[in-house]
Amino acid sequence: MHGRKAYELVKEFANGDKGHLKIFNNELFEQVIEECNEHHNALQSLIRKMQEEGLEVQTARNADHYGAFIHHLSLIRNKRCLMAYVHNRAEIIRELAWKVGLLHELPGEIQEKFSDLEEQYFKDHSKSLKSYMSQLSLDVNVDMVPPKDPYIKVRVLEDLGSGIILSDKSANFARHSMHFLKRTDAEQYIARGLMEELTG
Amino acid sequence: MASGAGEWSAEQIDNYETLISTTDVELLKRAWRNEKASPEILPFEEALVKRAKEQIQLMEETVDDFAESGHDPLIASLYQMDLDRAQFLLRSYLRVRLQKIEKFMFHIWKMDTYRNRLSIEEEKFTERCIRDIGKHLEETVLSKLPDNYQSVLKQSIISEEDDMVPEPQLDTFVVAKCERATRPLYLDGSRQSASFDSRQFAILTCL
Repeated sequence: MHGRKAYELVKEFANGDKGHLKIFNNELFEQVIEECNEHHNALQSLIRKMQEEGLEVQTARNADHYGAFIHHLSLIRNKRCLMAYVHNRAEIIRELAWKVGLLHELPGEIQEKFSDLEEQYFKDHSKSLKSYMSQLSLDVNVDMVPPKDPYIKVRVLEDLGSGIILSDKSANFARHSMHFLKRTDAEQYIARGLMEELTG
Repeated sequence: MASGAGEWSAEQIDNYETLISTTDVELLKRAWRNEKASPEILPFEEALVKRAKEQIQLMEETVDDFAESGHDPLIASLYQMDLDRAQFLLRSYLRVRLQKIEKFMFHIWKMDTYRNRLSIEEEKFTERCIRDIGKHLEETVLSKLPDNYQSVLKQSIISEEDDMVPEPQLDTFVVAKCERATRPLYLDGSRQSASFDSRQFAILTCL
């Protein structure tokens, strides 16, 4: 079936949770690429056949021409699907670069969903963002939500110990302990999932 | 005013609003609002951003001074709050722009109208973005495809125009607030004219 596999690939992405990545489907991806090359071979052999029959490839409108045309369109469709798959995944990767890439390594459970090239892209894009910020000498990845209060209440989700010194004090950030911190200090830990904000 | 101190005449309100609307915070707020609501990237407010950055720095110094001198902590935290809000506005403004660039980088880059709207830093960022995603797409997909189908911008070699570039959808609605009363306007090429009063809201198509 023309284009069936590529459709499955895109469908798989579209069915996933918004903003979440599944493991890069290398097997299906390679199959679509393979299909592309088959289309291209078929296309070329049809064109060769037309040339051997002495027909003008540009103007002739026989069965072989339309056959070749179908192969061309199938190839383009496959390309669009492949590109859409990679492009949309790249969009999520960029989002991750905004959220965590500038400060730290990605958590392992996200990283294993990436292909090797996506991992590289993640690093490249994080670097681009960083270089923009350093040119401007302004961090644009903090203050993601409008500030209501300079201080917020947070609960520590993972044991951070007392090694962390915030701008105005140091404290023992044991797991499940609650603190009243400057929002700007707490934000980076919240982004990494080490603390959560208590509201209400 | 005969009506009492609590009530202001329309003229006074107008005057007050004109005055307020010329402060940098208000200008930045407007730029931010416009940028957030518009589907395409708008001209970069270079002078305004520069002023805002300077003022924020000044505020930071003031707050630091307060903290050092042991000034009334309440006053200090009020200043801090104001500072936080200004910083959020500025960062969010820049962030919204970057996110638009990330989304439509190829489109912005090839159209001079859009490209000229970028700041120098944004231009560099766009360039890097295009390089990164270009490399990524190239290595993941394009290099594995047949020769004539390897362009990032075109579906195949026979496409005359760039037909693989995501573009912002301009054919959409925006909510607009009228700054001043207008003469009757003919919008959308329609025959019916509409005039808008000051501070009236309207939903219009973007184009």
